[in-house]
Amino acid sequence: MTLAQVEGSAIDWEGALIERARAGDSRAFERLYREHVGRVYGLCLRMTREPALAEDCTQETFINAWRALAQFETRSALSTWLHRIAVNVTLAKRRKSSRHEAFAEPNVEVEEEGIEGGWTLETPVEVEEIEAAIGSLPEGARDALVLHALYGYSHTEAAQMLGVAEGTCKAQLHRARKLLRERLNVEIA
Amino acid sequence: MTEPTPKRVTTLRELSQDTEPERDLWPQIEAQLAPARPSLAASNGGAARRAVPPSLRWLALAAGIGCVAVGVWIGRSALPGGVQPPIAAATRPAAGTVQTAWVTDPRYRRDHDALVQSLGAQLASLPPASREKVMKSLTAIRTAKQELEEALGKDPSNALLQELLVNTYQDEMRVLTDVHEAGDAGKGI
Repeated sequence: MTLAQVEGSAIDWEGALIERARAGDSRAFERLYREHVGRVYGLCLRMTREPALAEDCTQETFINAWRALAQFETRSALSTWLHRIAVNVTLAKRRKSSRHEAFAEPNVEVEEEGIEGGWTLETPVEVEEIEAAIGSLPEGARDALVLHALYGYSHTEAAQMLGVAEGTCKAQLHRARKLLRERLNVEIA
Repeated sequence: MTEPTPKRVTTLRELSQDTEPERDLWPQIEAQLAPARPSLAASNGGAARRAVPPSLRWLALAAGIGCVAVGVWIGRSALPGGVQPPIAAATRPAAGTVQTAWVTDPRYRRDHDALVQSLGAQLASLPPASREKVMKSLTAIRTAKQELEEALGKDPSNALLQELLVNTYQDEMRVLTDVHEAGDAGKGI
């Protein structure tokens, strides 16, 4: 049974593990790691596109989470908190890298209409093809797209996680939509 | 023999959020945790905590997880709205505090004894699978209690042992309370 399967049950299974991990129980923390590593690594991999670097980011995310567990507010979701840490870690590693592309606001006019779209493709596209297209996007556009369109964070949440203004995040999403449309040759609503 | 059809998607949200890393990252993460234990653990009898045999900590955690699993099982199968265990919640000590006095509190003893007294009748009203899970969980919890009490007999001032013992008592109360609530719900009260 996974934590996800028992969400909303009478017993706060995850909360109990968090409490024990806070008290220094690394076995409880391991259970939390096992439950969340897939989503954390998935996010890091999409942001870095390098499995080895994504593994480093994932490890650092959980180590930082362990150190900061006392500050975690149990009212919020652990997965969101871990994602915030993962994004911070990945961006910090990128800043150190010489290949870093600045998350500059693209020079585009953001049309509000369509920005809230569900990222629906006019015709079905193979997973490999769309993953390759996402991977080929510039970093800024890809980060915003991954957090908003794949992981479901709002513009505000994605912007906060990326440390940019909401308008910048929207502009990056607009850019991502335009580039994906061109590369997949399909309309995206 | 035909090639399997590649998976296609019509929205970006259909792309998998979970990607498991190719190797287990936990051993390297765990190696980094020891020198950076959460502040709660470090500030409350750190030396005594390190003296606790890992087997006992694991035993208490296993009992707790067993208890939670039973609660979830019952919560999902018998309690339509999900009911918090009122007794455990009311007597639960603040996180990180050691309150062995809680175990001898007359209110706790009274509630505990009443729940134990009605346990047989409540168990009889549960489906056999639930009953078996409850019995297994209670056995694990009581074994953990016995082992912890024996360990405390040899090291009475060990703060972590005291805390684990209190946790184990709480786990037992949660199971007893959940069984009580589930039994009542089954009778249509």
